[in-house]
Amino acid sequence: MSLRIHLPEVSSATMRACGVYASGALYAAGFYLMLDTALWSAHKNPTDMHIGFVDWIPLVLVTLGMAIINLVERSRLTSGMAFGYEYGGHGTWQARVVLFVGTAFLSGGGAGSVLILLLRYIIPDRSRPEIFMGFFNILSSILIMNSSTCLWLAQNVKDDYSYSLQH
Amino acid sequence: MTLGFVLIVLSGALYENWLTLIVVAMFLLAPLPNSLCGHTTSDDFMSDAPDLLADFGRFLTGFFLMSGVALPVVFAHVGLINTNAMLMSLAGGGIVYISLITFGTFFYESDEY
Repeated sequence: MSLRIHLPEVSSATMRACGVYASGALYAAGFYLMLDTALWSAHKNPTDMHIGFVDWIPLVLVTLGMAIINLVERSRLTSGMAFGYEYGGHGTWQARVVLFVGTAFLSGGGAGSVLILLLRYIIPDRSRPEIFMGFFNILSSILIMNSSTCLWLAQNVKDDYSYSLQH
Repeated sequence: MTLGFVLIVLSGALYENWLTLIVVAMFLLAPLPNSLCGHTTSDDFMSDAPDLLADFGRFLTGFFLMSGVALPVVFAHVGLINTNAMLMSLAGGGIVYISLITFGTFFYESDEY
Protein backbone atom coordinates (compact mmCIF):
# COMPACT_ATOMS: atom_id res chain seq x y z
CA MET A 1 0.00 0.00 0.00
CA SER A 2 1.42 3.28 -0.97
CA LEU A 3 0.36 6.68 0.10
CA ARG A 4 1.29 8.33 -3.11
CA ILE A 5 -0.91 10.96 -4.51
CA HIS A 6 -2.30 9.71 -7.74
CA LEU A 7 -2.31 12.31 -10.41
CA PRO A 8 -5.29 12.16 -12.68
CA GLU A 9 -4.41 10.17 -15.71
CA VAL A 10 -3.67 12.55 -18.50
CA SER A 11 -2.63 11.17 -21.80
CA SER A 12 0.71 12.32 -23.07
CA ALA A 13 -0.84 13.82 -26.19
CA THR A 14 -3.04 16.06 -24.08
CA MET A 15 -0.12 17.13 -21.94
CA ARG A 16 1.86 17.90 -25.00
CA ALA A 17 -0.92 19.96 -26.53
CA CYS A 18 -1.42 21.91 -23.33
CA GLY A 19 2.28 22.59 -23.11
CA VAL A 20 2.39 23.93 -26.62
CA TYR A 21 -0.67 26.12 -26.04
CA ALA A 22 0.92 27.46 -22.87
CA SER A 23 4.10 28.14 -24.73
CA GLY A 24 2.28 30.19 -27.35
CA ALA A 25 0.44 32.09 -24.65
CA LEU A 26 3.67 32.80 -22.76
CA TYR A 27 5.31 34.02 -25.92
CA ALA A 28 2.42 36.34 -26.63
CA ALA A 29 2.54 37.60 -23.05
CA GLY A 30 6.21 38.46 -23.39
CA PHE A 31 5.69 40.13 -26.72
CA TYR A 32 2.75 42.22 -25.60
CA LEU A 33 4.50 43.22 -22.42
CA MET A 34 7.26 44.69 -24.54
CA LEU A 35 4.74 46.25 -26.92
CA ASP A 36 2.94 47.74 -23.97
CA THR A 37 6.16 49.22 -22.72
CA ALA A 38 6.94 50.73 -26.09
CA LEU A 39 3.44 52.15 -26.53
CA TRP A 40 3.50 53.53 -23.02
CA SER A 41 6.81 55.15 -23.78
CA ALA A 42 5.36 56.74 -26.88
CA HIS A 43 2.00 57.87 -25.52
CA LYS A 44 2.00 58.38 -21.81
CA ASN A 45 5.59 58.92 -20.96
CA PRO A 46 6.11 61.99 -18.79
CA THR A 47 9.87 61.92 -19.26
CA ASP A 48 12.18 62.31 -22.20
CA MET A 49 13.37 58.73 -21.98
CA HIS A 50 12.01 56.68 -24.83
CA ILE A 51 12.11 53.13 -26.01
CA GLY A 52 14.46 52.95 -28.92
CA PHE A 53 15.74 50.27 -31.19
CA VAL A 54 18.20 49.07 -28.56
CA ASP A 55 15.41 48.05 -26.25
CA TRP A 56 14.02 45.67 -28.81
CA ILE A 57 17.28 43.81 -29.37
CA PRO A 58 16.89 41.39 -26.40
CA LEU A 59 13.44 40.45 -27.62
CA VAL A 60 14.75 39.77 -31.10
CA LEU A 61 17.66 37.74 -29.73
CA VAL A 62 15.46 35.67 -27.48
CA THR A 63 13.00 35.01 -30.28
CA LEU A 64 15.82 33.94 -32.59
CA GLY A 65 17.20 31.64 -29.93
CA MET A 66 13.79 30.12 -29.39
CA ALA A 67 13.35 29.50 -33.09
CA ILE A 68 16.79 27.94 -33.41
CA ILE A 69 16.36 25.70 -30.40
CA ASN A 70 13.03 24.40 -31.49
CA LEU A 71 14.12 23.78 -35.04
CA VAL A 72 16.67 21.22 -33.89
CA GLU A 73 15.57 17.74 -34.64
CA ARG A 74 15.24 15.89 -31.36
CA SER A 75 16.30 12.50 -32.59
CA ARG A 76 19.62 13.88 -33.76
CA LEU A 77 20.65 14.93 -30.30
CA THR A 78 21.17 11.59 -28.73
CA SER A 79 23.30 8.92 -30.20
CA GLY A 80 24.18 5.57 -28.87
CA MET A 81 23.10 2.02 -28.89
CA ALA A 82 19.53 0.93 -28.56
CA PHE A 83 18.20 -2.52 -29.26
CA GLY A 84 21.51 -3.42 -30.70
CA TYR A 85 21.44 -0.75 -33.35
CA GLU A 86 23.53 2.32 -33.39
CA TYR A 87 21.39 5.31 -34.13
CA GLY A 88 21.93 8.97 -34.71
CA GLY A 89 25.46 8.49 -35.90
CA HIS A 90 26.09 11.37 -38.23
CA GLY A 91 24.86 14.86 -37.64
CA THR A 92 24.80 14.52 -33.91
CA TRP A 93 27.44 17.03 -33.11
CA GLN A 94 26.08 19.49 -35.66
CA ALA A 95 22.72 19.31 -33.95
CA ARG A 96 24.40 19.89 -30.62
CA VAL A 97 26.28 22.89 -31.96
CA VAL A 98 23.05 24.36 -33.30
CA LEU A 99 21.39 23.76 -29.96
CA PHE A 100 24.29 25.46 -28.23
CA VAL A 101 24.02 28.46 -30.54
CA GLY A 102 20.31 28.67 -29.85
CA THR A 103 20.90 28.57 -26.12
CA ALA A 104 23.55 31.23 -26.51
CA PHE A 105 21.05 33.47 -28.31
CA LEU A 106 18.49 32.84 -25.61
CA SER A 107 20.75 33.62 -22.71
CA GLY A 108 22.34 36.45 -24.65
CA GLY A 109 18.94 38.06 -24.98
CA GLY A 110 18.29 37.67 -21.28
CA ALA A 111 21.69 39.07 -20.36
CA GLY A 112 21.14 41.85 -22.87
CA SER A 113 17.94 42.93 -21.20
CA VAL A 114 19.67 43.01 -17.82
CA LEU A 115 22.47 45.04 -19.41
CA ILE A 116 19.97 47.49 -20.86
CA LEU A 117 18.41 47.93 -17.46
CA LEU A 118 21.80 48.59 -15.94
CA LEU A 119 23.32 50.75 -18.63
CA ARG A 120 20.33 52.78 -19.71
CA TYR A 121 18.32 53.09 -16.54
CA ILE A 122 20.24 52.37 -13.38
CA ILE A 123 23.64 53.86 -14.08
CA PRO A 124 22.25 57.18 -15.41
CA ASP A 125 20.21 57.22 -12.21
CA ARG A 126 16.77 57.15 -13.70
CA SER A 127 13.92 57.08 -11.23
CA ARG A 128 10.44 55.76 -10.85
CA PRO A 129 8.26 55.89 -13.90
CA GLU A 130 10.77 55.12 -16.59
CA ILE A 131 12.89 52.55 -14.79
CA PHE A 132 9.96 50.18 -15.16
CA MET A 133 10.67 50.09 -18.87
CA GLY A 134 13.91 48.32 -18.06
CA PHE A 135 12.27 45.91 -15.69
CA PHE A 136 9.51 45.10 -18.14
CA ASN A 137 12.15 44.46 -20.75
CA ILE A 138 13.73 41.83 -18.50
CA LEU A 139 10.35 40.39 -17.66
CA SER A 140 9.39 40.02 -21.28
CA SER A 141 12.58 38.20 -22.16
CA ILE A 142 12.09 35.95 -19.15
CA LEU A 143 8.57 35.18 -20.34
CA ILE A 144 9.79 34.28 -23.78
CA MET A 145 12.54 32.10 -22.34
CA ASN A 146 9.92 30.31 -20.28
CA SER A 147 7.84 29.90 -23.38
CA SER A 148 10.77 28.30 -25.13
CA THR A 149 11.40 25.95 -22.22
CA CYS A 150 7.74 25.06 -22.14
CA LEU A 151 7.74 24.23 -25.82
CA TRP A 152 10.86 22.13 -25.46
CA LEU A 153 9.49 20.20 -22.50
CA ALA A 154 6.14 19.69 -24.16
CA GLN A 155 7.76 18.28 -27.23
CA ASN A 156 9.90 15.99 -25.15
CA VAL A 157 6.96 14.42 -23.38
CA LYS A 158 7.19 10.77 -24.12
CA ASP A 159 4.65 10.18 -26.77
CA ASP A 160 5.03 6.49 -26.90
CA TYR A 161 2.49 4.32 -25.22
CA SER A 162 4.19 3.91 -21.91
CA TYR A 163 1.85 4.11 -18.99
CA SER A 164 4.61 4.66 -16.50
CA LEU A 165 4.52 8.42 -16.40
CA GLN A 166 3.92 8.55 -12.68
CA HIS A 167 6.84 6.42 -11.64
CA MET B 1 -22.02 35.26 -31.41
CA THR B 2 -24.12 38.21 -32.48
CA LEU B 3 -23.99 39.49 -28.93
CA GLY B 4 -20.25 39.28 -29.02
CA PHE B 5 -20.03 41.18 -32.25
CA VAL B 6 -22.48 43.78 -31.00
CA LEU B 7 -20.38 44.26 -27.88
CA ILE B 8 -17.20 44.69 -29.84
CA VAL B 9 -18.67 47.04 -32.43
CA LEU B 10 -20.25 49.06 -29.64
CA SER B 11 -16.96 49.25 -27.83
CA GLY B 12 -15.57 50.79 -30.96
CA ALA B 13 -18.51 52.97 -31.86
CA LEU B 14 -19.33 54.43 -28.48
CA TYR B 15 -15.90 55.89 -28.07
CA GLU B 16 -15.17 56.70 -31.70
CA ASN B 17 -12.13 54.48 -31.61
CA TRP B 18 -11.87 51.50 -33.85
CA LEU B 19 -8.76 49.87 -32.45
CA THR B 20 -10.90 47.32 -30.69
CA LEU B 21 -11.77 45.70 -33.98
CA ILE B 22 -8.30 44.14 -33.97
CA VAL B 23 -9.54 42.03 -31.08
CA VAL B 24 -12.20 40.51 -33.30
CA ALA B 25 -9.55 39.63 -35.81
CA MET B 26 -7.47 37.95 -33.11
CA PHE B 27 -10.32 35.89 -31.73
CA LEU B 28 -11.47 34.96 -35.20
CA LEU B 29 -7.98 33.90 -36.18
CA ALA B 30 -7.46 31.85 -33.04
CA PRO B 31 -9.27 28.63 -34.08
CA LEU B 32 -7.91 28.82 -37.60
CA PRO B 33 -4.41 27.30 -37.20
CA ASN B 34 -5.71 24.22 -35.44
CA SER B 35 -8.27 23.52 -38.10
CA LEU B 36 -5.72 24.05 -40.82
CA CYS B 37 -2.98 21.96 -39.30
CA GLY B 38 -5.27 19.11 -38.46
CA HIS B 39 -5.64 16.73 -35.59
CA THR B 40 -3.63 13.90 -36.94
CA THR B 41 -1.14 13.68 -34.09
CA SER B 42 -2.58 11.65 -31.31
CA ASP B 43 -4.28 8.98 -33.33
CA ASP B 44 -1.45 8.05 -35.56
CA PHE B 45 -0.10 4.85 -34.13
CA MET B 46 2.81 4.19 -36.36
CA SER B 47 4.33 7.59 -36.82
CA ASP B 48 7.47 8.04 -34.88
CA ALA B 49 8.13 11.68 -35.59
CA PRO B 50 6.09 14.17 -33.62
CA ASP B 51 3.74 16.19 -35.74
CA LEU B 52 5.49 19.51 -35.90
CA LEU B 53 2.83 21.14 -38.02
CA ALA B 54 0.13 20.47 -35.46
CA ASP B 55 2.37 21.78 -32.74
CA PHE B 56 2.97 24.92 -34.71
CA GLY B 57 -0.76 25.33 -35.12
CA ARG B 58 -1.25 24.97 -31.38
CA PHE B 59 1.48 27.46 -30.70
CA LEU B 60 -0.21 29.95 -33.00
CA THR B 61 -3.54 29.31 -31.33
CA GLY B 62 -2.08 30.05 -27.92
CA PHE B 63 -0.45 33.15 -29.33
CA PHE B 64 -3.66 34.48 -30.87
CA LEU B 65 -5.72 33.79 -27.78
CA MET B 66 -3.26 35.57 -25.57
CA SER B 67 -3.17 38.43 -28.08
CA GLY B 68 -6.92 38.73 -27.97
CA VAL B 69 -6.76 39.09 -24.22
CA ALA B 70 -3.62 41.16 -24.03
CA LEU B 71 -4.26 43.71 -26.76
CA PRO B 72 -7.26 45.46 -25.18
CA VAL B 73 -5.46 45.51 -21.85
CA VAL B 74 -2.41 47.04 -23.48
CA PHE B 75 -4.49 49.62 -25.33
CA ALA B 76 -6.34 50.52 -22.17
CA HIS B 77 -3.18 50.77 -20.13
CA VAL B 78 -1.55 52.97 -22.70
CA GLY B 79 -4.62 55.14 -22.88
CA LEU B 80 -5.49 54.51 -26.49
CA ILE B 81 -8.92 53.20 -25.52
CA ASN B 82 -11.24 53.63 -22.60
CA THR B 83 -11.42 51.11 -19.78
CA ASN B 84 -15.08 50.47 -20.54
CA ALA B 85 -14.19 49.84 -24.15
CA MET B 86 -11.59 47.36 -22.96
CA LEU B 87 -14.11 45.48 -20.84
CA MET B 88 -16.65 45.39 -23.63
CA SER B 89 -14.23 44.20 -26.23
CA LEU B 90 -12.85 41.54 -23.88
CA ALA B 91 -16.33 40.21 -23.14
CA GLY B 92 -17.31 40.38 -26.78
CA GLY B 93 -14.17 38.61 -27.91
CA GLY B 94 -14.67 35.91 -25.31
CA ILE B 95 -18.24 35.33 -26.43
CA VAL B 96 -17.25 35.16 -30.08
CA TYR B 97 -14.47 32.70 -29.36
CA ILE B 98 -16.58 30.47 -27.12
CA SER B 99 -19.33 30.32 -29.71
CA LEU B 100 -16.83 29.45 -32.41
CA ILE B 101 -15.37 26.65 -30.30
CA THR B 102 -18.78 25.27 -29.45
CA PHE B 103 -19.72 25.30 -33.09
CA GLY B 104 -16.48 23.54 -33.89
CA THR B 105 -16.98 20.75 -31.37
CA PHE B 106 -20.57 20.12 -32.42
CA PHE B 107 -19.52 20.06 -36.03
CA TYR B 108 -16.68 17.69 -35.26
CA GLU B 109 -18.85 15.27 -33.31
CA SER B 110 -21.64 15.20 -35.85
CA ASP B 111 -19.04 14.51 -38.45
CA GLU B 112 -17.73 11.56 -36.53
CA TYR B 113 -20.89 9.79 -35.49
